[in-house]
Amino acid sequence: MKRALLTLSTLMVTTALSQLTAQEQQFETVMTPAFSPITWERLVDARQEPENWLMYSGTLDSQRYSLLDNITVDNIDQLEMKWAYQIPVIDRAETVPLVVDGIMFITEAPSNLVAVDAATGRQYWRYDHELPEDLRICCGRNNRGVAILGETLYMSTLDAHLVAIDARTGNLIWDVEVAEHSSGYSKTAAPMIVKDKVVTGIAGGEFGIRGFIDAYDAVTGELAWRTYTVPGPGEFGNDTWSGDSWETGGAATWITGAYDADLNLVYWGTGNPGPDWNGDARLGDNLYSDSALALNGDTGEIEWYFQFTPHDVHDWDAIQVPILADIDFQGQQRKVMMWANRNAFFYTIDRATGQFLTGKPFATQTWAEGLDANGQPIRVPGLFPTYEGIMVSPPITGGTNWYSPGYSQQTGYFYVTSFDGEQIFFKRDEDYEEGERFTGGGGRYDQPMDAFHSSIRAIDPATAEIQWEFPIMPRSSAGITTTAGGLVFTGSADGYFFALNAETGEELWNISLGRRVHSAPITFEAEGKQYVSIASGNVVYTFGLRD
Amino acid sequence: MGFNLIHYWKALLIGGVLSLSLASLLANAEDAGNLFNTPYDINQGERYFERQCSRCHGFDAKGNDETGAPDLTGRLSRASSNVGIFNIIREGVPNTAMLPVDSDLPDERVWQLVTYIESLRYDPSSVELAGSANSGDTLFRGKGECADCHMVNGQGGRLGPDLSRIGESAAPDELMSSMTNPHDNVAPRWWTISVTGPDGITRNGFRMGEDSFSLRIMDNDADLWSFRKNQIQSYERIEQSTMPSYDQSLSESELDDLVAYLFSLRREEN
Repeated sequence: MKRALLTLSTLMVTTALSQLTAQEQQFETVMTPAFSPITWERLVDARQEPENWLMYSGTLDSQRYSLLDNITVDNIDQLEMKWAYQIPVIDRAETVPLVVDGIMFITEAPSNLVAVDAATGRQYWRYDHELPEDLRICCGRNNRGVAILGETLYMSTLDAHLVAIDARTGNLIWDVEVAEHSSGYSKTAAPMIVKDKVVTGIAGGEFGIRGFIDAYDAVTGELAWRTYTVPGPGEFGNDTWSGDSWETGGAATWITGAYDADLNLVYWGTGNPGPDWNGDARLGDNLYSDSALALNGDTGEIEWYFQFTPHDVHDWDAIQVPILADIDFQGQQRKVMMWANRNAFFYTIDRATGQFLTGKPFATQTWAEGLDANGQPIRVPGLFPTYEGIMVSPPITGGTNWYSPGYSQQTGYFYVTSFDGEQIFFKRDEDYEEGERFTGGGGRYDQPMDAFHSSIRAIDPATAEIQWEFPIMPRSSAGITTTAGGLVFTGSADGYFFALNAETGEELWNISLGRRVHSAPITFEAEGKQYVSIASGNVVYTFGLRD
Repeated sequence: MGFNLIHYWKALLIGGVLSLSLASLLANAEDAGNLFNTPYDINQGERYFERQCSRCHGFDAKGNDETGAPDLTGRLSRASSNVGIFNIIREGVPNTAMLPVDSDLPDERVWQLVTYIESLRYDPSSVELAGSANSGDTLFRGKGECADCHMVNGQGGRLGPDLSRIGESAAPDELMSSMTNPHDNVAPRWWTISVTGPDGITRNGFRMGEDSFSLRIMDNDADLWSFRKNQIQSYERIEQSTMPSYDQSLSESELDDLVAYLFSLRREEN
């Protein structure tokens, strides 16, 4: 009897325990703690978890195409603001946040980082990077975003450091100096993860730096490889620089690249040769300035290059995010890279070999008669900058610039924010002084900005033909994101966030956010609902469908 | 009285501190006046400006809305003296993209830069004009019919720019040109738009605002209208001035008088 009682009581305890366990499990399925570690495999398959935005361009192919389709062409009129995050430092926000399992990571000017709840915009933690006073930056106190691997975030800072931050707390894990900031180096772009390494570029093309692309061990911060974008003596391409001009050749790498896991190739753009507007002392093609580079993902070795603007004297950086896709080209399935360049030409290139497939102007240009069979420009003679000034199109800021283009797998179109403008280019004589600007001239508009024309253009990469355009006021520096809801999201210089029909370019929805949009939208899902976020002015706004 | 006294003492204290802190800089400023104010210095300052400053402030120093860098050719909002300009160049403007120059940069070079920036403006009292400002004032309100469209100090029309402080931003030759060739360099604010609204009525007005998705105009009755671009039937932008040319209708001396009057219109200095 005693034993029976004991057994009964044991049974009761066991039952109670199992009930408790069941409750706990039920509790866990409802309330999943935010954030789980990001493996390399998750990054490779990032498109398959569209609830997250795991890297600067969404996926390694940089298409900025999301499979989320809660928000569509048919219900977008129900979009409304859900929350706003005010960045405390007053400056322009070029940030593209990441979203990882319900947490959003937002970078701020000058080099800070904050983690907020993606459904409410309320803060978990912040990291403020201490900066020296003697920064050398050409174009504002910008930061465009972070990369994530495991439980660690990686951020570039204006003093040319790369920092690793704990994603759960904001604690600093390591901080490495990538280059000496007082010599003119700085960092603004989001790094990119390739396997177990953090691949990252450098800015400073207006200070006579020697550009490079680096890869760091994600755990230790040790430099794994460095590939200079200006070849040294004895290296291929060094003879494309007259005299010692390669030493101050620029070719900075200040925007994030793309990666093809099958080919194990990293794709990265390079900036202008230095000095920008005076090529007299750097005769030659100036490799690898203004180029797309394909690097071995393990060693950084240059597998191929494609130079868009040999011997550039107009500051037309090839600092654009490469977009990778597999498309039908003249009846064959091709692995291509699409590139709308600052020089106003659009290019479709075979990304396995670097072979030029097709290309045409996508914005107004006067500097080239066209492209030859290899995609090289046929220059109009006599349009180099002069001491007195000479009018050339596109202007310094280009037919487009660093802001992200997009690609839709539904339409097969490439989308780009474009500018039809012109500028008077001047040449000046300058000697290099370390840490000083080294530009050799500049440019001046001779009309008010409103007199020019800007638009969002859709391009068929198989033909390089423009399919439609949607006019906006000049000069937008907003990026583009596309979705499986048939949408193109982007912003404008006059402070609108808007959505277009990806197929037709028809205007579907817009909202005035009041300040210039300098960033690209992202889309994600939190608590089962699709959201779209964009930074405008000093604020990150998040939109969702009306409940 | 007590309130005023406190402020009086505060003013004295602040004044004292400023005098102390300016004392050393003024010595430099005087040096600058003596040593770094020649055409050579202006040229050196310009070269440095083009190299170090033009990326944000523009090759013509007229500023850049995109970077937020101000126009340096007119009245400066953050500095009222060459010492003030020197300090901004040396120390930067906190929490903005305006960084201090390299601390190793010699004062000489900074003063050359100050001299160049100052050369972009001029002392209006040093300008000698042929016309009479008083006669110009009379013309402005009378025969010239300028006041029908332009306001000065709250009096006048609304169909042209307010000219109360035009002397601060326009040089005499620019003032003359704007009367004789009004279609040159028309600011976008004074372009006109002809818009046919959803009601089918076409309205013409000044381009108060145009952005990617909307338009705002003021018509000749000074009525203000706002339109969504996707709801209008059509619109046309006319990038010209509505002002007539006075090249033929006023004599050369009358135009000189108007220039003298307009050039005298500036904020009263206290």
